[in-house]
Amino acid sequence: MIVRTASRFGSEFYIQKDGYEINGKSIIGVMTLAAEQGATLTLVFEGEDEEAAADAVAQLFADGFGEVK
Amino acid sequence: MRYEPKQLDSSIDIDSDSTESNGQRMQSFKGVGVASGIAIGPVYLYERTSHEVELRAIDPNLVTTEVQRFRLAVERAERDLKKIISITREKLGDESAGIFEAQVLMLHDVALLDPVIECINKERCNASYAVKAVMEAHRQRLQASSSEYLRERSNDLLDVQDRIISHLRREKLLSSIDTNAIVVAENLTAADIILFSRRGILGCALDFGGATSHVSIMARALGVPAVMSLHGMTKQVKRGDMLILDGFKGEVFINPDPTTLRGYQEKQSRYIDLLSAQKALAPMPSVTKDGHDVVLRGNLELIEELDLLEEHGATGIGLFRTEMLFLMRGRLDYTEDEQLEVYRRIVERVAPEITTFRLLDLGGDKMLPVAHREHNPFLGWRGIRILLDRPEVLLPQLRAIYRASAFGPLRILVPMVSNLREVTEFYSLLDLVKEELIERGEPFDPDIPIGIMVEVPAVALMAERFAARVDFFSIGTNDLTQYALAVDRGNDLVADRYHELHPGVLALIKRTVDAARQHNIPVSLCGEMASKPRATPILVGLGVHELSAAPTYLPEVKRVIRAMRLEEAEALAEKALCAADAEEITTMLDTWLDAHDCGLSHFLKFSESAPAVSAS
Repeated sequence: MIVRTASRFGSEFYIQKDGYEINGKSIIGVMTLAAEQGATLTLVFEGEDEEAAADAVAQLFADGFGEVK
Repeated sequence: MRYEPKQLDSSIDIDSDSTESNGQRMQSFKGVGVASGIAIGPVYLYERTSHEVELRAIDPNLVTTEVQRFRLAVERAERDLKKIISITREKLGDESAGIFEAQVLMLHDVALLDPVIECINKERCNASYAVKAVMEAHRQRLQASSSEYLRERSNDLLDVQDRIISHLRREKLLSSIDTNAIVVAENLTAADIILFSRRGILGCALDFGGATSHVSIMARALGVPAVMSLHGMTKQVKRGDMLILDGFKGEVFINPDPTTLRGYQEKQSRYIDLLSAQKALAPMPSVTKDGHDVVLRGNLELIEELDLLEEHGATGIGLFRTEMLFLMRGRLDYTEDEQLEVYRRIVERVAPEITTFRLLDLGGDKMLPVAHREHNPFLGWRGIRILLDRPEVLLPQLRAIYRASAFGPLRILVPMVSNLREVTEFYSLLDLVKEELIERGEPFDPDIPIGIMVEVPAVALMAERFAARVDFFSIGTNDLTQYALAVDRGNDLVADRYHELHPGVLALIKRTVDAARQHNIPVSLCGEMASKPRATPILVGLGVHELSAAPTYLPEVKRVIRAMRLEEAEALAEKALCAADAEEITTMLDTWLDAHDCGLSHFLKFSESAPAVSAS
């Protein structure tokens, strides 16, 4: 879900956790990050539409999509 | 490996220990039958590719070609997946197609493509090796996760890896599959079996897997006879060996001797006759010779099974088990809106007939994600006991079911009740649910019938007091029998003492029916007993005029109903209640069935050995 949303934007998107960084547009990356509930993640957006991309992904978190799909 | 050289079926005269056929010894294996039917044919041994990938150095001039090959393989794998997605959608619905859609995303994943291409360029290695190396690293990380959900996803990665590698090898694995063969493999994915069934395989025998695995569900939906949990059978067969697969009993014979083969050929042709006879029965009314209706409903647990109701002439759903909906997600936080979506689709499809939703019935033999080790789970935390302790699971489910009542008629069934106090507590939670929905302005039917499962002997014994408090009863004979007889039928040492036709069990059923009549509430029976045509005359005679079973069993039950008169059945039930034991009752029933020429004798062999897919 997060992968699909982020892929709609041109900006690069990275997720950081415990000093480990993965590409947020990669389903394998997101899966291996093994984001359990309650983990602290840092989201990094870089590119022309970075704000729109950040808003869209932030909205996903706000809606509590719960599951990494 | 369980090697069982002993004679397995008394109707077929075999001596499997020593018989030889074409100089080869017959071997028999016992597993779990997960999809009905009998298949006879040669073995096609399907092996996973990932074990055998070797590192090869690539000529520096050919590195670009190797990258091209890799891209082409990914493209082809995607084409396969698109095909699988469309078939899955058609057969099993959108939700099931999701896992394959995720696999398509993996194919396009930068975390796969970039490192593989880099590996080929830098290491000058073959593409298969690069794919394996990259995917293995990802899988290891997933398997180290503390979340079971994520650990299981590592199988999806393996699946994607195999898909790409098989295309790289240009083996065209699937198209090389012998049609008219039985696929034997250690394990298969749901996707594999879809592609295989399109190529017209006869059946499927796996070392691993069980009745509730995704591949089993798919095999049943596709009508591919299948046996799983064969523990190492793949090591004992080779391509081209002759195989018999019995999806009813969960048995497999390798290189059968002529007598066994002949026996099974007959059994197979009888089964085919039976299927066509059942088709003819489906639309006929379920009514006794003297004009009394016996309502036949279906037991379902997946939305994808809805088609079966009409195909087998079921009137509505007598038991919709909601466990599978939760278990397939692997977690309990199933939101109210998500549940509503599923319940609404079911209710709308089944209307104007009624749908009976049983609340989440975990515990006992049903995997409980909230891990709690119990010494005696069947006497432990299960059914309503869990639900009352976990309102965060119960309340969303109740709200979703109540909201679904705006779309068609439904009933709610409460599992594993043993005390009146549980009913009282449940009703007070129900009031909360209704209040909240009214406040929110959600439309619902305020008079949804609330029933309880009668599966604890104490409840049957004081059924009058429960009947005064609830709107209907549903007798769960599987648990009722095991509790009444103190026999765990999963325990080989005592399983032969488990008998639903025990006079003590029949007395409990009688007691329940009488109480329901006294209070004028409906009573149905939804255990496995309802699916056995041999038990039908007794149940109807005891006053159970509503039976609910897996839809495929209903036509045979209907055949018996249409062959009997109510007063005969009542006399038979009366006699059975006075019998000494289950054996006496069984003999009594067989004589009766023969006299009524129900054409059953051959069917019993199938139905009584049918896969016990899930207990009710």
